[in-house]
This record gives sequence, structure tokens and C-alpha cells, in this order.
Amino acid sequence: MKKGFSFLSRVCLCSMYMLLSSLWAFSQSRTITGKVTENPGGTPLPGVSVQVKGTGKGTQTNTSGVYKLEVPQGANTLVFTFVGYKKEEVVLGASDNANIALTADVTGLKDVVVVGYGTQKKSEVTSAITSVSAADFRQSGARNAMDLLQGKVAGLTITRTGGTNPNTGVTIQLRGVTSLTGSMSPLVVIDGIPGGNLDLLQQDDIASFSVLKDGSAAAIYGTQANGGVIIITTKRGKSGPARVDYNTYFRKEYVQRRPKFLTADQYAAKIASGDIITEDKGYRTDFVDLLVNHSNLTQNHNLAFSGGNDMNTYRASVYYQDQDGLMLANSRQQYGGRLNVTSRGLDNRLTASFNLSTNFNKANMLTDGGNLNGYYTFNPTYSPYNPDGSYYFEQTSTNELARLHQQTDIRQQQTTSGDAKISLDIIKGLKASIFGSVIRDTWTEGGYADLNSELSYETYDSTGYAWQANELHVKYALEPTLEYNFTVNNAHNITAIGGYSYRYEVDQGFDAGNYGFVNDVFEENNLGAGNQLGLGKANMGSFKNDNTLIAFFGRLNYAYKDKYMASFILRREGSSRFGANNKWGYFPAISAGWNLREEAFMSNLTAVDQLKLRVGYGITGNSGINNYVSLVTMGTGGNYINPDGIWRQTYGPNRNPNPNLKWERKAEVNIGVDASLFKGRLTGSIDVYKRVTNDVLETFTTQLPPFVRNSIYANVGSISSKGLEITLSGNIIQSKQLTWSTDVAFSTNRSVLDRFSNDVYKIESKTYGGIGGYGALGDAIRTFEGDRIGNFYGKRFAGLTDDGKWLFYKADGSKVSPDQINSEEDHAVLGNAIPKYYLSLTNTWHYKGFDLRVFMRGKFGFDVLNTMEMFNGNRQSLPSNVLETAFTKHAKLNDSYQYSDYYLEKGGYMKLDEVTLAYNIPFKTKLIRNMRVYVTGANLATITRYTGNDPDFIKDTGLNPGIDALNTTDDRRPYLSSRGFILGLNVGF
Amino acid sequence: MKRFKKITTYTALALLPVFANSCTDLSEKVYDQLITDNFYNNKNEVVSAVLRPYTHANAWTTPGQNGWWRLSELSADQLAWPQKGRHGYDAGNWIRLHYHTWTIDDGPVRDCWSLLWTGLGFCTDAIENINKREASAMGLTQQEKDGYVSELVLLRAFHYLRIMDIWGNVPIVTQVGIPLSPETKTRKEVFDFVEKEILDNIDKSPVLSKSLLGRMSKAGGYAMLVELYLNAEKWTGTPRWDDCINAANKLINNEAGGMNGALELDPNLTDTYKPDNDLSKEIIFSIAYDYQISNFTPQWTGDFYHFNQSQINGNTLNGNDGVVVIPGVYTTFENADKRKKEWILEGPQWRYGSNGTVPVISSGGNEYNGEQLVFVDNIRKNKQGSTVSDMTQGEENSGVRFNKYKLGPTSDPHYRSTDWAVYRLTWVYLAKAEAIMRKNNGAATQEAVDLVNAIRKRAFAPEDWGTHEYTTTTLTMDELLAELGRELIFEGYRRQELIRWGKYTTASWWDHSASEGFRELFPVPQTQRVLNPNLGQNTGYPN
Repeated sequence: MKKGFSFLSRVCLCSMYMLLSSLWAFSQSRTITGKVTENPGGTPLPGVSVQVKGTGKGTQTNTSGVYKLEVPQGANTLVFTFVGYKKEEVVLGASDNANIALTADVTGLKDVVVVGYGTQKKSEVTSAITSVSAADFRQSGARNAMDLLQGKVAGLTITRTGGTNPNTGVTIQLRGVTSLTGSMSPLVVIDGIPGGNLDLLQQDDIASFSVLKDGSAAAIYGTQANGGVIIITTKRGKSGPARVDYNTYFRKEYVQRRPKFLTADQYAAKIASGDIITEDKGYRTDFVDLLVNHSNLTQNHNLAFSGGNDMNTYRASVYYQDQDGLMLANSRQQYGGRLNVTSRGLDNRLTASFNLSTNFNKANMLTDGGNLNGYYTFNPTYSPYNPDGSYYFEQTSTNELARLHQQTDIRQQQTTSGDAKISLDIIKGLKASIFGSVIRDTWTEGGYADLNSELSYETYDSTGYAWQANELHVKYALEPTLEYNFTVNNAHNITAIGGYSYRYEVDQGFDAGNYGFVNDVFEENNLGAGNQLGLGKANMGSFKNDNTLIAFFGRLNYAYKDKYMASFILRREGSSRFGANNKWGYFPAISAGWNLREEAFMSNLTAVDQLKLRVGYGITGNSGINNYVSLVTMGTGGNYINPDGIWRQTYGPNRNPNPNLKWERKAEVNIGVDASLFKGRLTGSIDVYKRVTNDVLETFTTQLPPFVRNSIYANVGSISSKGLEITLSGNIIQSKQLTWSTDVAFSTNRSVLDRFSNDVYKIESKTYGGIGGYGALGDAIRTFEGDRIGNFYGKRFAGLTDDGKWLFYKADGSKVSPDQINSEEDHAVLGNAIPKYYLSLTNTWHYKGFDLRVFMRGKFGFDVLNTMEMFNGNRQSLPSNVLETAFTKHAKLNDSYQYSDYYLEKGGYMKLDEVTLAYNIPFKTKLIRNMRVYVTGANLATITRYTGNDPDFIKDTGLNPGIDALNTTDDRRPYLSSRGFILGLNVGF
Repeated sequence: MKRFKKITTYTALALLPVFANSCTDLSEKVYDQLITDNFYNNKNEVVSAVLRPYTHANAWTTPGQNGWWRLSELSADQLAWPQKGRHGYDAGNWIRLHYHTWTIDDGPVRDCWSLLWTGLGFCTDAIENINKREASAMGLTQQEKDGYVSELVLLRAFHYLRIMDIWGNVPIVTQVGIPLSPETKTRKEVFDFVEKEILDNIDKSPVLSKSLLGRMSKAGGYAMLVELYLNAEKWTGTPRWDDCINAANKLINNEAGGMNGALELDPNLTDTYKPDNDLSKEIIFSIAYDYQISNFTPQWTGDFYHFNQSQINGNTLNGNDGVVVIPGVYTTFENADKRKKEWILEGPQWRYGSNGTVPVISSGGNEYNGEQLVFVDNIRKNKQGSTVSDMTQGEENSGVRFNKYKLGPTSDPHYRSTDWAVYRLTWVYLAKAEAIMRKNNGAATQEAVDLVNAIRKRAFAPEDWGTHEYTTTTLTMDELLAELGRELIFEGYRRQELIRWGKYTTASWWDHSASEGFRELFPVPQTQRVLNPNLGQNTGYPN
């Protein structure tokens, strides 16, 4: 195929060349001929574009690399361009012959990488940094900016535990777990704003992501960098005529992979056959279907204007988005805009850049999938209605359909950020800048339960319940920097930057609720109209807390002839959250790189375009803990009667003090190789790393007595992880008409809880992942010192007795009933919840105006605890509705719920995540610059042996991963899995 | 060099503001919390700290959490929390308590340790903070200051008493945080310490009056002495029957005050347990609640109530269908004994106010979903026709249920405000009777019979009384234990009683068979022993 296309294309090109030549034959001009070859090697290059500079005239080289071009009088420069090679210009002399050799361009468009407080040439980067630009983003319509990156960066785990709920974010984790109780997410920096708000980012406004993965890159962000750093750059205007870009898509979603509970007919049949002992109420209801928004339709519109001249550029965009969830009463409408203005003045010595961005959203928060469980298990021979048409209520369950119609929960949020950066070139090479930003995030949320709603009926004496809450979060940052760049002897390039960072964050909120309303008119808009303010059962609360983070930082980059590079970072940072004895810490880093390609001994290896070795070591910290945790505060203890007969609040110490509380400290070594082979046809990076986080904060049991509280928050533990990341890009076919490229991202990581005891504080094991549900089955995950994080630990299934009772193995191998199992002696590691391998694969084809992209994503080597089978695949749950498996796979089981490896399944999967087919409509008019229409199918197929919910939504980050659950505790939201289809359009004027 | 100078100058200028003090200030300003150093500035603040251990005592001395009550009752012969279908396995906690097979790091034991010592710490923290401040600086008179301190010392002694009851040998600590790893003292040493603390402070404490509702007082101090001396033989090896009788007499003779006039027995079976039981004449020390004006409410509904209990009581309170009466206990009440129907729910249940016409229908997808709720005096899978009866074989309606304390229907003006009596005069009567009989080698005297009859008489109609009255012949020690069981059921003292009778680890009941003798004490939690090398383990448990 490849050859065929190439041949055809060449025939076409030659024909065109003949045609053009004949057209220009009569003009006053001269004919230039020449040959284009490759440097080094001298191989002829066919298909190279040859243009006469300043005119529209041009041609291409033939199969022998030869071209022939009529050059009009007055024109004297030819421009040679070819994908993957550096552009060359040749000034014509007297000769009618112009030969040239083109050199492969291995850096191309992505030759600049955004790093902390600046940019760096990619060839000089010495740390593990991955950049992803707009062309590579995921294409199924981001609900959160981080969706665009899912599966695109090796080592960056992004999981949608909330499914496709438009009101939930993602869990993000880079290179494994780095904390037990503090923040584990990467620091997000948007256009320089540390801790930027993702709500402010629309997919069409983002130019690129830069992920600082290792400590040597991230150390410049000090105590916020243990989880890595993601730097996001938004699009900017370019000088030139005004450009208008309009992007839109429409998305429709369908339910897929719905758990197989008995249908109403199956259930009724089992009542008839005596398998289920309960009364057939006569109705046949598909309860879960009542909660599905079958008419969902999501739309997104983004309109951007940009342009400018040499001194000023601008870009302004506005957007509107209406996201429907797959479930009813779950949606998000938002609109807003983003503005960037960059100006230069003072003879180009002064640069000022301003960003202003805002988001208004209105979210229906009433459902998030937490309502599914009750309806999955509801007896389907019931009706949600009474015979008189009113809703059917019973004390111990919630009529979720009624709730959709009788309760509300709406959040209205506005987030705005503004920042300015002013830079002055003081003398050549020395630049002083000051950056300031503010983000203000505020929301009001309110809800109302009708007088006749179940909540009101069962809890508020049928008098309704109304509540409102609002919160305000403001973040300020001020960061002056001084940057100096100079070159010595044309060989030693030094860039130094030093700065100061002051950040202040304050959070406050207020909430109130009331009941005792006479009708449903006010809803939550007149809380005082309820009667409980006087009767003392209205509720009210407020809070406020703040923290300050201050740092001094510096970085020195050194490069010798593009051959040897080194980078040194030092940050001294303090946080108000730390204890009085440990307010400030140092965070140094060093890294070095060696471009082997520049060495003489490599000159004969023509297949290697670029080869760079990187080594880095860096120390970062984590200040992502709650405010005031080092102080002893007096906590409320409930009201008690005072001697005067009045009930007043009681106060007692609610925390043991820890004046030594400090940051968690991570040290990381990263060794990497960047390579480009065969003229850029194969590029890639390999990184290996080992990171150790010490002083990990955890709540420890204290000696009690003599302390008052039984716990203290202290720096004791240690976590380590090591891993391998491989990123590869191959241009398999690269011809004028057809290209086929493949990108692969692979990563593996092993995280171990090394230690959580010291001389003072001791814990023998840590348990996580409360299973919840009936019977309080305890925690699913237990990790001893030195174990992998995410170990399932519990009873080992040994079979069932003849009458269907559980048998489990004791440590000595004997099979016994559950009450004879000793949790200390007989429990064992059953499996592990954290995927060993992540793999994603992007294949992109371009053919003429069409492009097709197929994106696959998978996780391998892990176990999932299928708690749905545990609770619903058991006839013990009858007469609540059960999974079909209660009568098939688990038919023999006749015993209560038990947690054991019986319910562990292999979770590995590969998902056909996105298929996008696009057509670039060619326009002959100058009015339309480009127009692209595309269709995307999202979540089209999943290859897996796992039998529960979509394994993609199961948490694989943090300390409580791998539990596929129906309850909403522990951050598990069992949203319905969906398949989506998108129709999109991009137009540029 | 000139360029270098220039750079240095600019750098210095740029960094100048940075070194100003405010630019490196990381001190914390707390907006919505209190810090101990800024507290105890006026009387209300002092009182709020003095009262903190009481709201905390709600957690451990009443049912509803893993406190003294659960360890004491769920390991004894009257109450249990069996597994009922898919509910109630709860990591096997209740099963192990019932069979006396708890481990050295069992959750309920560990939680109880934590709750009790935290409460004790609240007392000590407040004592230290009040002691180190001048009375005037707190807006108190010296007398008020001394009163608060002695009240707190008595209350701390109450914590030690209960800690000693459960674990026996424990450290004695009177300062917060010092020493870091206190060493275990023998039960005798702890006993002596508690006795001394009470005796040193009892006379400084106010006599009980209405204004001391829910508080430790002189009367509470004597009640503690009764408990201490009643168990002294078991706890120290030395019987103290006369001391027990003397302490009881202080209360019976009304020398320590009463909450509503003179301390006397409530005349009926309901006054002590009704929503406005702050009017009870016999309660000596209680945890006080008021839902209507303070939102501080009893926590025990979760342990006792069925999922549909609210329909029975005409309110909004349901529970986890947990604690039930062990089969065979219900029938130890004679039918003529009014306590049987008044304090225990048995049989078909009807909606509140329907006078037995509208059944309570079970919902929630359990065994009897859609059927009338009927509490049965057995624990087995009747729905499946099974006759196997043990801790794992319950159904949602297994076992008859707690109905001693009443919270009232929603319309009751004192709804959800029923106080929980820690000490009541009835218990003092029974303790005195027991002391008299034990002093008399287990034989009843007329004085002892009169004391027991005084409390028993309330449970019988006048026409039945003649045949149910005790005499010095019928009131044997075994009969006294049975009567204690009936009168004090659900009140938390059953483990102590069984231990005094030597039956806690030797007797069998329902599916429980005799355990090991060392189980009379609970193990010191392993998590604490790992932290504190000076903390010993009780005999019999793995060290």
C-alpha cells in the first residue's frame, strides 16, 4: 500500500509540475534547476517544496530530488521546505542552478518546553518533562481539562472515579503514591498561576500541558511539588491579521455495561417458582431506567478572536457549554471567557502580559450515581407510585424517582482569575519581572425538599426542608523574579533565575438550613420563613481558615556547546501550616544532560538524529495538609446543662499539639534517555526513577494516658516507589497524501509503604478501603511495613460446605467456618489493587483531507474487589433484588456476606477509548482558513475479564484503590458507564 | 566587573522588599477555633471546660458506642448483638464479646480504652488549666474555683473506677502528657488511689440539688464509694462490706442531697425512665439530655432500635437492629412482674397510637419485608424453618427488645430528652442488701429482704404482691442475682454482678459456654502496649 500511494502521488506531482511549467513559459523570467539532497548522506529528497520567496510560485522535487522552477524577474531567493527537515533559503546568484542539502529537524515545533518559571530548549532539558500540545489531546469532549491528558503521559494516572458525571473532577496521581494523609495531586500551574483553577480552562483555549515528573524538575516548586507539577499554557495571539476560530461539538451518551440484576419478569418468575419468598406486588418496573436521562445532549461552543502586531498581541475567547449527565438531575451549564493581552514597549525592553479568565456555572448536583444502589436492589414488582398516583414511600429506602421530582440541589459558581506579568530588560541578558495573580472562587448552593417529599415526610414532619451554603476561596500570589542570561566564549551558556514567592490562601463559608414551612413557594429562597429558628432545630454554621506559603528560589542552567548541560535548583520555603519548630525547609535539585549526538564519535551513526542522556536528583516537599494541624485547639463537645439551667456548648482539647510538624520530604533520582532515530521517524524517551518520601504524615495513636486525645499528627512514615516510563512515537508512513503515526505511552510503577513507625510512634499495619454495606465487613486493604500499597488482605476462600456455608483456610491449611478464622494469624495478602502496567496507544492516519485517530488505553496486572457480587450476588440479600449471578455463579452459596478472595477478580483491561474520523473541507475562498468536521466515538469497547462495573472508573490512585462499590463512601461513585458519540466542527476565518 | 556590580545592585534592589519582616511572617491566625492559651478567661469558659467530660461520658457510659456499657453488657448473660441475616456481623466484634474470645487488639476493647482515657484527660486538662490560673483571672471566687476542681477530681475518679472495672491494672496519671510512658500499677494501688481521691474531695463537693442535674456531686461521690466497696473483695481481695453499707446509708439517709427534694425511690416503674425523668426522685447521677433546646440527645437508639422502630414509638428514630435480649432471659420475668411488659418489647408490633389495630410493616428488604414486625424470644432462622440457635443465626426480628427508657413520640414536649441514670437509689438499695447478705455468709437478713422488697414491690399489683414478696428464706444469693438481673437489666452492671457471683467466666448461658478465668479482665490494647513499654498486660493474655 505504501509504495502504491507514493507512486501515485509522484505521478500527480509530476503532472502538476508540467502544467505549471507550461503556464509560466511565456513570462519574463528565468528557469532555475537544481537537486535537493539529504545532509548527511547525499540521498536525493523527492517531494521537497520549493517556493520563490515573496510569491506564490513554487514546485516540488521529483523522484530524483530534482526540481525545475520558473523564477520571475526581481525575485532572488528560493525557500526549501520539507516535513521533518530544517527550512533553508538560497539566494540566487548568476547561476541558473541551485543545489542544496537539507538537514533533518529533530526538534521541530515542539522545541521549547515550559518549565517552572520559564521555558527551556527541549534539547537542553535535563529532567523528566513531558509536553502535550493541543493536537494530541483526547477528543471526546473534556468535562475537566485533565480529561485531555488521560493516557497521554506515561506515569500520569488520571482516573474518573465519578464516571462521566459532569460535576466531578478526576483523581490525578503521578508516579505512584507520595503521601498518606496529605495532598497527592500534582500542583497545577496555569500561565504561571500556582494552584490554578481547572474550571477556568476550556479545551479550545489550551495550547499545551507540560508535566514536570521528577524531583529535579519539580523542586523549583518546593513544598507543593511532591505530587509533580502540571504547567498549563493557554493559547496566545500571533501578530498578523485577526483570526477567528469557532469550535463546537455535540455529544450524545448511551448506557453501557449496566449490572445484570434480575429484570422484573425474571424476579416475578422466581417468586412464582418459590426461589424468592416474597409477595409479587404485580408491577413490572425497571427502576434504574427511571433515573437515566435518555434525552441527554451536550453541546459546546467556543469562539476565539486573536491577532496583533509586532508590539501587541491579543486573544479573546468566549464559550458556552451545556453538559447533560447520563443520569437525570445531573447536569452542568457554564459560560465564560478568557482574555490575554501582551504588549511590548520601551524599545522592546518592557513586556507586559495580562490574563483575565472567568467561568460561570450552574450545576444540578442532586444526583451523582449514589442513588443507583437503592434502585438496583429494589423489588421490581413494586411500583414507584401508590395506586392513587402519589409516590410510594417506605421508611427504610428512598424513592429515588420521587426525589428527582421533589428535591433540588443547585450550585451556582463563579470563578475568576486575573494575572499580570511585567518584565523589564534592564541590560542585555538581565531581566526583572514581577508576577501577581488572584483567583476568586465563590459559589452558592441551595436545595429544597417539598412538603410532600420523602425526606420531609420522614424527617421533618412534612414541613419541607430548605438549605443554602456558600463558600469563598481566594488565592493570591506575588512572585518577583530576576533572570540573567549570558554566553561566554560562544560556548558556555548560563541562565540564572532567582525569585521570591508569597502566596496566601483563605477559605470561608456559611451554611444554614430550616424547616417548618407552610407551603412550597419559598423553596430555599426565604429560609427565615420556616418555623425552626425559634424552635431551635434550624441549623447554621460558618468557617474561615487561611494559610501562607513563602519561598525564595533560584535556578542555574548551564550548557556547553549544546553538548553538556546542567541545572541547579534551590528553594527555601516555609508554610504557616508547619509546627513552630519547623517552619522552613530547603529543597535542592541537580540534574545534568549529555547530548551524545554532538560528540565526534557519533558522527558516523547516521541513523541517530539525537541521543541525550539525562540524570537528575531532586528534593521536594508536601505542604498539602489541613490548616492549623500543629496547634492545640479547643473543640466543641456538644451542649450540656449549666448551673443556671441554660444549655451551653462545652469545650475540650481536640488535638494533641505537635510543634515539630513539618513537610513530607521526597528525594528522587531520575535517569532518562531521549532519542530520535531515522530522521525523526522514531522518537522516544525512556525514564527510570526511584523516589523515597520520608517524614510522611500520619495520624498516630498516642500514649493514652498521659495524653488527652488518642492521636497525634506526626512525620513518621516512609513510602518509596520505582518505575519505568517509555514514550515512543513512530511515523510509519510519511508521504504527501498518506501518513500513519503511532504513539505509545507505557509505564510501570511499584509503590511500597516502607515504614510507619519510629521510636515513639508505632503502627503495625495500616488499613484502608472500608467495604461498607451490611454487616460492617471492615477494611479490604491492609498494608504492613515493607508491603506494596494496595494489598487486599483477608480471608482465603476454601470452598463451600454441602449446604452452601463458607469455608476459609486457616494458616495451617485447614478449612474452617468464618468464626474460627483469626484475623491476625489466618488472614493473608489476597491480591493487589494497583495496576502494574499502564499502556496507551494512539494511531493516527491522514489521507488527503481525512484524518482518523484511534486511541486505546489499558491497565494491567491488578485485582478488583467486586463488592457488587459480594452484596448482590448472594441470595442472602433477598427479597431485595439481586444480580442474576445469585442464582447462577453463586447458586450454591447459602451464607451471609463475607469478604475474601472469592470476590477478587482480575481487573486488567484494554479499552477502545476514542475513535475520531475527521474531514478537512478544502475551500478555495480566502474567507475560510480551515474547516474541519469530525465524529468521535468514546468508550466504544472494553476487552476485560472483569465482570463488574466498567473497570476504568475504579479508583487506582491513593490508598483505597480497587474497590468496585455501590456505596458512596470512600470516594467511590458508582455512576453508570456510558458510550458517547460526538459530532464536532472547527472553523477558522 | 562593572556589569557584575550593576547586576548586584539590581538584584539587591529587587530583593529588598523581600527581607522586610512581613514578607517572611508565617504565624497562624485562627479564625474559627479556640486555642487553649486564650481560654478560661471567664466563668462561662471555665464551666464549658468543666462540663466537657460529661458530654464525653455520654459516649462511654451509655449504650451506642464501644464504651464501658457495651463491654459490660454484651459479654454478660442478658444481652447480645447477634448476626441477623446480612446485618450485624460487624467484623465479628459482638460474636467475640459474647463468646469471651476477644483478642488483645479487639476494636471494641481498644475503642473503650480510648474513650475512657480521653474522658479522664478532659478532667485532668481542665484541672490543670483551672489550677494554674488565679480565681479572679477566671472571673471566679476562690470557693467556686475549688468547687470546680473537686468536682473534676471526683469525676476523674469515676473514670478510674470504670477503667479499673474493665482492666484492673492500669497506670495512675494526674498530669497531661507527663510522664510520656506511665507504668502500670496494680489494681490494689489504683483502688487505693481512687478511694483517696474520692475521700479527699467528697466533703468539698456540693450536695446534690436540682442545679446539679447531670453533674457529679457529694451524692455521686458516695455512690462511687458504694460501687468501689461493693466490688472491693473482687478487686483487692479484701472485703469492705461495712464501708459499702455506710456509704449507702449516707445516700439512703439523705445526707448528700437529692435532685428533687429528698432522695427516695421512685414510686413506679416509669418515672425513672420517662422523657422528663429529670423529675425523678431516685436518680443520683445521670447523663442529662435535652433535645428540644440543646440538641443533646441519647445515643443509644442505634444499638436498640429496629429499622422500623419509629413507627412503634411515633417518632423519627430508627436503629441498626442490634442489641437483643438473650433467649431465656425474658422468661425469668414472671407474667405478674410488670417489668416484663413495661421494659421489654415482645410479640407483634403496632403503630404508635393505633391501639393494636395498625401493624408495623417491616421494610428494607430483610427477611420479613412487607410483613408485620414480630419480636420473638428466640434467635434462629424461623423463615427457613431452622432450629439452630446461635450468634450467627438471627433474623431481623430475633430476640425481644429494650424498652426501658422511653424517648416519647415527637409530640412529647420532652421528646428525646430522657436522661440516662448512671447511679440511682434502687441500685444503692440492692448494693446494700447484697453487702448485708455477703457479710452474713450469703444468708438474707430481714433488713436485706426489706431493701429488696422495697424495690420489687413496685413491679407487682397489690393482689399479686403477697405471693411474690421475698422472705429471708426465699432471698438466696442466687435469687438476689436473678432479681438484680430483672431490676437492673440494660443498665450496664451485669458483668460486675456476674463477676461478684463468680459466674462470669464459669457459667453457661444460651449458646455461651464457660470461658477462661482470666477473662474477668479485658486485655490492655496491644496498640497501646506497642507505644508504652511500661504498660503491662493482664494475666492470661499473650504478652
